[in-house]
Amino acid sequence: MPSYKLTYFDGRGRAETCRLLLAAGGIEYEDNRLPQEQWPAFQPKTPFGQLPVMEVDGTMLCQTNSIARYVAKLAGLTGKTAMDQAKVDMIMEGAVPLFQKAGDVVMGEGDEAKKAEKKKDFEENFAPKFFADMEKLAGDKGYFVSNQLTAADIAFYGNYESIKDFVTLPSFDKYPKLKKVVASVQANPGIAKWLKERPQTAW
Amino acid sequence: MPAYKLTYFNGRGTAEIVRLVFAAAGISYEDVRLEQDKWPELKPKTPMGQVPILEVDGTMLCQSNSIARYVAKQAGLAGKTPMEQARVDMVMDVMDDMGKKGNAVFWEKDEETKAEKKKEYEETFLPQFFTCVNKLVGDSGHFVGDELTLADITYFNTTNLVGNYFKLPNMEEFSGLKKVTEHVTSNPGIAKWLKERPETPF
Repeated sequence: MPSYKLTYFDGRGRAETCRLLLAAGGIEYEDNRLPQEQWPAFQPKTPFGQLPVMEVDGTMLCQTNSIARYVAKLAGLTGKTAMDQAKVDMIMEGAVPLFQKAGDVVMGEGDEAKKAEKKKDFEENFAPKFFADMEKLAGDKGYFVSNQLTAADIAFYGNYESIKDFVTLPSFDKYPKLKKVVASVQANPGIAKWLKERPQTAW
Repeated sequence: MPAYKLTYFNGRGTAEIVRLVFAAAGISYEDVRLEQDKWPELKPKTPMGQVPILEVDGTMLCQSNSIARYVAKQAGLAGKTPMEQARVDMVMDVMDDMGKKGNAVFWEKDEETKAEKKKEYEETFLPQFFTCVNKLVGDSGHFVGDELTLADITYFNTTNLVGNYFKLPNMEEFSGLKKVTEHVTSNPGIAKWLKERPETPF
């Protein structure tokens, strides 16, 4: 059994999709939460100076979605056929801009006026369009691909959950299929346990 | 053999990685290059309002890396084991980050900020970035394993695209990356495509 060690800061952020996938797959791992003051010493050890990284028996992987896709394979959550896997990938990649753009609103460059402009653009233009596109791609039964839980559902949930407290998102009442996806993810036994037991962090 | 139809604008851009993979894989496809005035009509029919899209037997896929990975798998170019595949993915993602950063500089509206960001990108970011990427190349001259993968092709393509708009560091200094480039450009399918592909401004 290989050893898995996921390193990130003490928060959900970019790493939470990976943690949710590990939970869904029942995969044991070391959830290494780096205190900020240890980051400068750790940073040069990473391939590109960024987190999360995942160490698997000594090999260090970086890039959130690459790690997530790898974990999804271990957990059997990538989709069964090549086409299903492509659809899962498409949604995992498509979900990232929600996190990135919200992150830019909250932490990006610009004075107060510029930030307010970005927030307005995100909340009034980007987010509704994002939700509408995702709603069209979701199936009726609470899953994006092939009527079963895959990394697509978990990545949508992870990205959404990491930013929902920092920006105003459209109400799920308008997006019933997405509402079911959220419920499917939260109902997965491994994920439900993780959601109850995980450290409570501000972000 | 399914029918593959790739749709993008008439340029390399985010579709070129897919075209290169089709070329390396020796898989034929319809290379649809959309006129700008046809885009408003197609846009709402796409999954996320973007191109490239790949239509395969009636299903429409989007997201260039997802499409590239799907095609690469058909030809064994995506990595052989889950760990190899993860390392291929990782290279694709870091190259994407590099390309997106360059894109952000390119589209910066304020001239003074743009000049500053361009200088930082060319003189600080790119040399550090390529130093890190060079470390990932194996003795074989490939990023992963001993054979061509999507990682090698992505490295070549993104560097090539970025090099059209920005001054790259002296790439001779990165011996691993040089070998990767040689492997990619000498792949018969890719060499043929590079010679025959339409010349486009982007």
